[in-house]
Amino acid sequence: MQPSVGVSVPRVDGAAKVAGTALYVDDLPPLPGELHGVTVRSRVARGRLRGVTFDPAIDWSDVTIVRAEDVTPNVVALIVDDQPVLAADVIRHAYEPVVLLACADRAKLARAAAAVTLEVDPLPPILDPEAALSADAVVEGRSNLQKRYLITKGAADVGDEASLAAIEAALAGCEVVVRGRYTTTHQEQLYLEPQGLIARWDDHGVHVVGSIQCPYYVHKALTKGFDLPADRVHVTQAVTGGGFGGKEEYPSVLALHAALLARKSGRPVRMIYDRKEDLEATTKRHPAICDVATGCDRDGTLRVLAMRVVMDGGAYVTLTPVVLSRGALHAAGAYRWRDARIEALAAATNTPPNGAFRGFGAPQTIWAIERHLDAVARELGRDPLDLRRQNLLTIGDTTATGQKLAFSVAGLECLDKARADSGYDEKRRRGPVATGRVARGIGAATFLHGAGFTGSGERNLKGKAAVDLVAGGRLLIRTGSTDIGQGTETVFRQIVADAAGLPIGAVDYAPVCTTHVPDSGPTVASRTIMIVGSIVESAARKVAARVAAERDRAGGTFAEAGDRLIAAGEVTELVQYVSPDYVKWDDATYKGDAYPVFAWSCFIAEVDVDLDTFETTVVGFWSATDVGRAVNPVLCVGQIEGGALQALGWALTEEIVWKDGLIQNPRLTNYIIPTALDAPHMTTALIEEPFPFGPGGGAKGIGELPMDGGAPAVAAAIEHATGLSLGALPLSPERLLAASRRNAL
Amino acid sequence: MKVTLTVNGSHRELDVPPLMRLIDALRGPLGLTGTKEGCAEGECGACTVLLDGDPVCSCLVPVGQCAGRSVTTVEGLGSIDHLAPLQRMFVDHGGAQCGICTPGMLVAAEALLRRTPKPTEAEIREGLAGNLCRCTGYQRIVESVKAAAELRGDRGEGAA
Amino acid sequence: MSLTDLESYELLHAPSLAALVALVADRHASGLHTVLLAGGTDWLVEQESRPPLPSGVEHPVVLDVSRMPELRALEVVSGEGGDRLRVGAAVTYLELRRSAVVGERAPLLARMAADVGALQIQARGTIGGNLATASPAADGVAALAALDADVLVESVRGRRTIPFSALQTGYKTSTRAPDEVLVAVEIALPSRGAPFVWRKVAARRAQAISKVALAGVAEVEDGRVTRFGVGMASVAPVTARLPTVRALALSRPIAEIDAASVDRAVEADVSPIDDVRSTRDYRLHCAKALVRAWLRQLGARG
Repeated sequence: MQPSVGVSVPRVDGAAKVAGTALYVDDLPPLPGELHGVTVRSRVARGRLRGVTFDPAIDWSDVTIVRAEDVTPNVVALIVDDQPVLAADVIRHAYEPVVLLACADRAKLARAAAAVTLEVDPLPPILDPEAALSADAVVEGRSNLQKRYLITKGAADVGDEASLAAIEAALAGCEVVVRGRYTTTHQEQLYLEPQGLIARWDDHGVHVVGSIQCPYYVHKALTKGFDLPADRVHVTQAVTGGGFGGKEEYPSVLALHAALLARKSGRPVRMIYDRKEDLEATTKRHPAICDVATGCDRDGTLRVLAMRVVMDGGAYVTLTPVVLSRGALHAAGAYRWRDARIEALAAATNTPPNGAFRGFGAPQTIWAIERHLDAVARELGRDPLDLRRQNLLTIGDTTATGQKLAFSVAGLECLDKARADSGYDEKRRRGPVATGRVARGIGAATFLHGAGFTGSGERNLKGKAAVDLVAGGRLLIRTGSTDIGQGTETVFRQIVADAAGLPIGAVDYAPVCTTHVPDSGPTVASRTIMIVGSIVESAARKVAARVAAERDRAGGTFAEAGDRLIAAGEVTELVQYVSPDYVKWDDATYKGDAYPVFAWSCFIAEVDVDLDTFETTVVGFWSATDVGRAVNPVLCVGQIEGGALQALGWALTEEIVWKDGLIQNPRLTNYIIPTALDAPHMTTALIEEPFPFGPGGGAKGIGELPMDGGAPAVAAAIEHATGLSLGALPLSPERLLAASRRNAL
Repeated sequence: MKVTLTVNGSHRELDVPPLMRLIDALRGPLGLTGTKEGCAEGECGACTVLLDGDPVCSCLVPVGQCAGRSVTTVEGLGSIDHLAPLQRMFVDHGGAQCGICTPGMLVAAEALLRRTPKPTEAEIREGLAGNLCRCTGYQRIVESVKAAAELRGDRGEGAA
Repeated sequence: MSLTDLESYELLHAPSLAALVALVADRHASGLHTVLLAGGTDWLVEQESRPPLPSGVEHPVVLDVSRMPELRALEVVSGEGGDRLRVGAAVTYLELRRSAVVGERAPLLARMAADVGALQIQARGTIGGNLATASPAADGVAALAALDADVLVESVRGRRTIPFSALQTGYKTSTRAPDEVLVAVEIALPSRGAPFVWRKVAARRAQAISKVALAGVAEVEDGRVTRFGVGMASVAPVTARLPTVRALALSRPIAEIDAASVDRAVEADVSPIDDVRSTRDYRLHCAKALVRAWLRQLGARG
C-alpha cells in the first residue's frame, strides 16, 4: 500500500469547487415559504436608545419584526455574558443590532429596513483603548479592563507588585537598553464568502445550516439562547468560503438572529450579509499598542525583556481574553531571555467587538518584538538576522513561561534555509540598491507559533472524534472539525488511510452536523491537524486493530473481515484527546508549557520602494517553516503562502478608517487587499522536524503561523531600502512620507 | 422582457426584468450557482463570466444587455465528471482552497489562455488581477495556470 | 442594498442616434430622468449603495447605448490640421488597449486603459461613461485632458464640439447640457514617438482608484516644448489641467526649468483634499514628484 501521508493528493472537495457544483449556503435552493432576514443596526457608536419607529407608509403585515423584548435571555453565550443579542436601551458600538426584519419579498424588505428609525440620544464614544482604562464604563457595571495577564521570568519573578521595579532594575543592569513603541491596526478577515445562514424550526427543534467555522459554538449559543436541550439543536456546516477566524464566534450571533426570526414567523429564514454589512458589523483583528524595553550585552546576547501590551477589545468581551493570552504568550518571540516581564491588558471601547483572526493576538506582539530586534541590531551595529540567530531558542532552552523545549525545534534551520534561498547575505552586503528613483532592500523575521490550545486548554476541552467501520471495508470519519478551505477533509482522510493501512479512497468524511458528529473542539488555534488529526489517527488505529484481530481469527480481506464485524454490531471508535503527560501548565501563575509544541519559521521579504511616491512593492518572498511533518505538501504550502499574503496586506494596505467610531471604508474598493499583481512570487520551503505526538509521523499546527512574520519582514526590508524605520502599521506611502520628513529634520 | 442569449453554448430564452443583474439571472432562473457573489460592486471578480469571450463581472451587467450575446460560466468549462484540464490543474496544484474565488478565477484564466496560450508569470498575474483570492497568496493559482498552459499545448484550447 | 428595485426598471434600446437624442430631449422637457447606460461600472455600483426608492416613485428610464453603432467609432480621421483619432463614447478600455492604431498613435490612451481597474472593468467601462460620470479621479478623463480632446455631443439642436478646456465647470458638473448625448471624443494626434507619460499612484497595482494620476503628452523641438498637455486625477474638484505648469513648460528652453519652480507651479494648480483613500499632504507631494519626473523626462533640470 502506498502511504497517503507526505503525498500531495488532490483535495477531495476540489472537483466540486472547480466545477461550480459545491453548494455554499446561498447556493442552497429556497425552502418552501422561506423568508429573507435583515438586521437594522445602530449608526452611532454610543448612546441611549429612546425608541424605534416604523414608518406607517409601509404595510408591515407581512414583515416579521423581532426586537430586544422578544429575546429571553437577551445574551450571546460566550466567555462573559455581556453582549445582548439585540440592543435594548443602550447602544455600545456602531452597527450594534437593534431590530430584525424578515419578509418573503426582498425588494419590500429593503424598503422596510429603510423605514425603521432608531431614536438614539448620542453620547461621546470611548474610542481609545489606553484612555478607556480610566474612562467611564462601556458596559455598565463592568470594568473597561476586560482582562489582564502577567508573565514573569527570572529577576521579574517576584510577585505582581514588585515585578515592575524588578524588571526595570534588571534593565538598568544591562550594557545596552533599547526602548520602543509598536502599534497595529484593525484587520478584516475578508473571507470571500460573506457570512450567511438559514434557520428553521420543526418538531425536532431548531436547524441551522450555514457558513460556519465552529458548529459547536453555534450549537452552544442556540442551546443557551433558546433554553433547549442539546438534542433539539441541529447545526450543519454548508461548504464554507473561508473563515480565518472570522467565522469562529460571529456565526453564533447570526444564528440567534435567524432563529429568532424563524421562530416568530414560523417560516425558514435566510440571512446572507452583503459585503458592506459584513465589513461593518463582524469581528476584526484586535489593534494593539506594545511598549517594549530590552536589555542586552554589547555582544548581542539578549538578557531582559519588558513588554506592556494594550489591546482594544471592542464593546463586548467575546473572545478577547483568549486572544490577549496568545498575544502575551508570543510576546517574547523566538528568543532566549534571562529575565522577562510581559503585562497584557485588554480594554473595552465603543467599537464593534474584535475577535478571532488567524494568529489570534500573536501577530501583534510578534510585530512588536521583531521590529524591536531590528532596532536593537541597529543600536549594536549588527546584521538583524545574525542577532536573531545568536539568540534563537533551541532544544534545552526555556521560554518566558519557563517551558523547556525538548523536541521539534528547528528555528535555526528555518533561518538558515530562508537566508540561503533568498540570497540575503549577498543582498545585505551590497546594501540597498537604487535604480533611478526606486530603492530595493531586503529584511527578515524569525518567529514561532504555538500549536493547539494554550496551556491546559486541550486537557479541559476534551475534544472527541470518531471513526466508524462501514460496509465494504470503508471508514467514515466523524468530527466537528470543519474544512473551510484549508483542506481538513483531505488531510484527515490521508491520516486515517495510513493509520488503517487503507487507500485514501476507502475513507469518507461525514457531513459536519452536530447531530451526527462529536464535538472535536473548534476549528481554531492551529489545532485541527495536530490535535484532532491525532484523535482520528488513534480512532482509525483502533478500528483497524479490531479488523486485524478478526482477520487473524477468521481470515479474509479487510473488507470481508470488516463486514463480518459489522454484521455482529456497529463498529465505531470514539476517542477523546489525551494531552501528552509532559504538558504542565499553571493558569494562576501563567507558567509552564504554554503549548504542546511550537512551529518555527523565517520569512524574508525583498521590496522596491519608490522614493518619489513611497509606494512599496514586495518583489520577492522566501520562507522556510518547520511544520513537523507535511501531511499534504501542496496544501501545507498553500496555508503558508495564503497566510503570508494576508500578512503582507496587513503590512502595507489594509486599514480600517474610523471616524467617530464609524467605518469609513466598508467596501472592497477602499479596504485594500492584495491582487495577484501586488503579491510577490513566493518561494516556500518546508522543514520537517517531527513532533513526537503529532499525527502522520509528527505534524504540527501551522494554520496561524504565516500571519506572524510578514509585516515585520516587510518593515525590515523597507528600512533596509530607505533607512526609514516604522513602528506603526500599515506601512503606507503616507506614513513613509511623514517618516522621511522626520528623518530629514 | 424576453431576453435570448447563449449560455455555455446553449440557446436560452429568459423572461426576466431587463435590469436584473446577469449574476442573478444565472444563479436564479438559469440555475447556474457556480458563479459566486463576493462584493456586488465589481471589485472581487468572484462573479466573473465571459461575455463574448471577454471577462466581465456579472454583478455589473444587466441581463438585458446580454441579448444576442454569448455567456460562459464555470459550468461551461467542464463538468464535475469531465473536468477541463484547467479545472483539473487547479485541483492538483492547490489553486483552489475555499473555492469562492475559484469559478471566477477559472473563467478569467480561460480567457487569458485563449488569447495567450503560453503566458509568463507576469502575464498570468495581470490576467487574474481582477480576481481577488484571500486563501492562496496566488502562487498556487499561478502554478495551476502554468500547468494548464502546458497541458493545453499551443492551441490554447480548453477541451479535455 | 437597492438592487432589488432595479428589477422594476425599464431598459430601452434606441433604433438610431437621432431617435436617442429625440427621446432624451422629450423626457428632459417633461422633467423626467433618463439614464444612458454603457458599461454600468459606475452606475450599477451607485444603485447598490443608494437607499431603495420608496414605492410609488417613478423609476427612470434606462437606455442601453453600449452597442449603438454611432457611438462605437475608433478610427483615425485625416484632415487639414493633421490626423485626428476619433473614439466613440461607447468604446471600452479593453478595445482601446487592444487597438493597434491606439497603441501606435496614442500610446498614452493604451497605457492608461491598461491601468483602469482590471480586465473585467476594462471590458465594460467606456470613455463616454468616464466623461459622463465626471469623477475628478477618472483616469480616462485625465488622459483626455492631456490630449486636449474635443468632446462631440449631439442633441435635437444638432451636434457641437466642446473643447476639453471648456468642458468641466466644477465637481461632477460640465457645460454639456442635460439633453446632450456624448457621441465621441477627437484628439489631434501627437507626432509619432512623441514623449508621453502615464503614471498612476494608487493603493494597489490593479482594481484601484487613483490617489494621484498624471497623464501627459509633449512635443519638444530644439530644446523647447512646443506642445504640452497634462491631466491630473484626484488633486482638485475637476481633472486638473495644470495651467501654471503648462505655461512654465512652454515659457523657456526646457533645460532652464528647475525643480523649485515646477513645485511652485504645481502648488498653484492643485487643491487636493484628505479623504478615505489618501491625504492632501501626500497627494500634493506626489503631484509635485510626478510633474518633476515628467519634466525631467523632457529635459528639465533636477
